[in-house]
Amino acid sequence: MKQIAHFRYTLLAAAVVLLLPLVLTSGTLATEVLVFALAALGCNLLLGYTGLMSFGQGIFFGVGSYTAGVVLLQLKLALLPSLALAALGGALVALLVGWFSIRQRGTYFVMLTLAFAQMFYFLAYTMKDVTGGDNGLLDIPRPPLSLLGVTLLPTTSSWQYYTVVAILFVLVFWLLQRVVDSVLGKTLLAVRENEARASALGYDVRLLKLAAFVISGAVTGLAGGLHAMMTGVAPLSNIEYHTSEAILVMTVIGGTGNLFASVLGASFYVLVGNWLSTLWPRWLMLLGLLLIAVSLYMQKGLFGLAARIIDALRGSRNKPAETPPVTQEKHS
Amino acid sequence: MNIYLLQIANGIGIGMLYFLLAVGLSIVFGLLRFVNFSHGAFFLLGAYLCFQVTDMGISFWWSLLVAPLVVGLFAWVVERFVLRHVYALPHHFHILFTVGMALVLQEAVISIWGPLGNNVSPPELLQGVVMAGGFVYPKYRLFVIGVTAVMAVLLWWVLEGTRLGSIVRAGSESTEMVSLLGLNINRIFSLVFALGAATAGLAGALAAPIRGADPFMGVEALGIAFVVVVVGGLGSFWGALIGGILVGIVQSVMSTVWSEGAHLMIYVAMAAVMLLRPNGLLGRPGAA
Repeated sequence: MKQIAHFRYTLLAAAVVLLLPLVLTSGTLATEVLVFALAALGCNLLLGYTGLMSFGQGIFFGVGSYTAGVVLLQLKLALLPSLALAALGGALVALLVGWFSIRQRGTYFVMLTLAFAQMFYFLAYTMKDVTGGDNGLLDIPRPPLSLLGVTLLPTTSSWQYYTVVAILFVLVFWLLQRVVDSVLGKTLLAVRENEARASALGYDVRLLKLAAFVISGAVTGLAGGLHAMMTGVAPLSNIEYHTSEAILVMTVIGGTGNLFASVLGASFYVLVGNWLSTLWPRWLMLLGLLLIAVSLYMQKGLFGLAARIIDALRGSRNKPAETPPVTQEKHS
Repeated sequence: MNIYLLQIANGIGIGMLYFLLAVGLSIVFGLLRFVNFSHGAFFLLGAYLCFQVTDMGISFWWSLLVAPLVVGLFAWVVERFVLRHVYALPHHFHILFTVGMALVLQEAVISIWGPLGNNVSPPELLQGVVMAGGFVYPKYRLFVIGVTAVMAVLLWWVLEGTRLGSIVRAGSESTEMVSLLGLNINRIFSLVFALGAATAGLAGALAAPIRGADPFMGVEALGIAFVVVVVGGLGSFWGALIGGILVGIVQSVMSTVWSEGAHLMIYVAMAAVMLLRPNGLLGRPGAA
């Protein structure tokens, strides 16, 4: 029974993967949903499970895109090694950014992540030989999914590529769910709830935060690599502040503290954004208003809202225990 | 040799502007204990108000009055009627609220004035350069140094020499204590938030003739303001001044040495300060 509870969210994520092709006509759009869901998962691990609000997720996303782009273009690597290197690139940069940023706490920490986002943007802009500067990397190939030289799945059409991304997505979701259910995940929650106390209990809080950063960077780097293959380009905009902002916003809108919430948030952001941007190019203004509304009235995001609705339908008084409570730490 | 001296002088000019941009952020943080992520958007709005005023054929001088007033009033209204309700929530939601507001402002600017950048020319009186000995210095930048210096003295006087300033300083130590003394701390909050926004608006208006007005300057300004307060120390007036000038000089000198990396080096300098003095040059431990 307990086993099923653990698998419940992975099954829900798999259900989303199966549902997307039924409701969407564009394979690229469906792939985009999963790519940003991965990025939001990485952000959620930091924000929801460790209490770290990072405005630097775009760094890892961009580094993942560039890494995949470079190894696919220059070294002509296969799909899986390229993605592994993209994840590794994201993890290494996350180690560096995390190491600097977690020297500070609270608001200071948040400001530092934003400053680092700007730093890496200008770095990418300056390193034209590697990143292509303003133009980005163009004509990135999309090799088929192969293992030991045997082609398992082609990726030529957008739905074929979606299948590959979907398999990786469910796999990563399951792995992350295992991480948050593990001792490490529970300890991260302890850091989120009361850092001083976790530290007093003998936990190395800095090491724990750094571990969360590295995992988050790897997942976000993977998402960046998948995005580069999806579009065939690794543009400068992937490492811009706006990417960081978008990843954070979809995480917050989905709700923090539950991994499946990030899938909801990313789906909402990508699909509603895709629909609204055709109607009104300035749809981000509505997003800004939504963010204000979420901070004022809906702090648990869409997931919290869904949980409340399901609760009301069941007519039961007892709250679902799955959502860890929103931190009420005093800002001082 | 001379070129470096000139770049340092240039850097002081930019740095004073950065000071004006960052000081509001720092003061607001000192009292309200949260970092306003729409500070860059206030700067952006200030720059566009300057563009609007000059574009309508009204003298540039008016924009120096209109920009801080309009931005300050806007901030006052937002604080008074909406922002106030976030204070009781964890600080993540303060940040998210102001990020949302920044997004709304940026998109509003694009809807009104379009996505492309606009140039603003300095008033005729301030066009051209001043020559003194071997030194050549643009008149407008000299004027910016003058205005920001006056603003620095004015702000310092308000903080140190007036009743409002002593309430703000007392409130930075303990807001509860101030309200227990019978002062209406909520009114002070609105006022200080508006004042912080107004300085950002003025900085934006002053910056417009130097760098033009484009919709994405808000994010850039926010990043720079963060670097200034991280370097100088959050919540410190002198920290903002020293941090601002230092960042301005780094940017200006680097633009001669390696023009493409000038912006990058600002952030590298920040990382270096972080390693040596984690709380900033003038920051106290535990200020955040």
